[in-house]
Amino acid sequence: MKRVLLLTLVTLIGGRLHSQGKPLVITGVRGVTFGTVLPGVPTVVLRTDPVNSGQFNIKGPKGGPAVLSFVLPLTMTGPAGAVMSLTFGSSDAGYSATQSIGSQVGFDPKQPFTVAIPNNGTASVFVGATVNPAANQRAGAYTATIIFTVTYL
Amino acid sequence: MKRALILAAALALGTASLAAQGVMVAPHAVFIDHRVRSGSVLLYNPGTEPVEVTISTLFGYPVTDSTGAIGLRTVDAPDSTLPSALAWIQAFPRRLTVGPRERQTVRLLARPPAGLADGEYWVRLMIAAQAGRVPITGAGDTTAIQVGLTLEVRTIIGVNYRKGAVSTGVTLSNVRAQVLGDSLVTWSKLERRGNAAFIGTVRETLVDSTGAVRTTYNSPLGVYFTMQPRLATALAAPLPRGRYWLRYELVTEREDLDPAVLLKAPAVRDSVQLVVP
Repeated sequence: MKRVLLLTLVTLIGGRLHSQGKPLVITGVRGVTFGTVLPGVPTVVLRTDPVNSGQFNIKGPKGGPAVLSFVLPLTMTGPAGAVMSLTFGSSDAGYSATQSIGSQVGFDPKQPFTVAIPNNGTASVFVGATVNPAANQRAGAYTATIIFTVTYL
Repeated sequence: MKRALILAAALALGTASLAAQGVMVAPHAVFIDHRVRSGSVLLYNPGTEPVEVTISTLFGYPVTDSTGAIGLRTVDAPDSTLPSALAWIQAFPRRLTVGPRERQTVRLLARPPAGLADGEYWVRLMIAAQAGRVPITGAGDTTAIQVGLTLEVRTIIGVNYRKGAVSTGVTLSNVRAQVLGDSLVTWSKLERRGNAAFIGTVRETLVDSTGAVRTTYNSPLGVYFTMQPRLATALAAPLPRGRYWLRYELVTEREDLDPAVLLKAPAVRDSVQLVVP
């Protein structure tokens, strides 16, 4: 009830907006896909893979300073609590100021990476990974979440 | 063997890509005046699917690490020595669903403690959006392995709350420059003055012995306490041997922000010589 009252109050005041600035859009374009996975055989998806790599797009004010970071899963969860190992290498993420998958600066997705948004206001981040199914990996659907964060400085 | 064959035959992990999803956040920085005590952020979903959004707040400010890389230092429970507004700025609503092509407003309400000293107080707003799922084809097939990865995107923007007389400034020292490979790399030490963050731009100009400008570089920067940033810019062409001067300047100007929200402060400058052997 208290919260509702506060919200109502803010709405009534209308909040003279002192906030200034341009929009910032972070978009998840596609997830990392692994294709056919064999039990006991690691499968690698490179960040330069135009079909299977993950992609995020960034659109924001030109020159804007931003820190890119990931929260990465260690495992994927499958049927009846089964897990499958997932790993990310030290160059499994790539930043492209031109949004071209062929023109990336690799970085460690486990470390923050600072960029300036390019003059055209758009950039892309690509990510690859390695999935490590066990020899006796249980069949079924496995899922995990990749969290990508853009911190505007 | 049978199991292996089944697995080998089946496991396509969806080349299916998810429809691009996320939310537009505007503005990318919020400034709240103590006389108003409220602000707002607009969320817009440009996609074709609803996006679940969670709003939260945290305290953090830009810092540099030992290499000069800029990052965000977060403090879970900021004490009274830090100018934190985490305890008294709230966002409403905290959970919402933004439909396709819809926009919604997140309100920020400040309830500062009585007797709050003049100055600037900071909090960060985190907008988390579930960005969709990779469709898992054949999920009903229990004999095959399928994998779907859910994406979540988070946008963190700054909220600066200003009360009374606020001022800023910066001191500049230890400017250094070096050509490394095809890049001009600079280092400096920046210490903020006043009671508000120095939000501005570093301007670098490299001139040769004839006074001709060889390259320029602007880097927007926020100095909240002290930082020693390493800035690198690619050179369009290798520099010939010789002596150069780097002019290094900090000004309270930003291309990405309205001048009305920028606190003015005198520019600071320094120059250092650079020798390309």
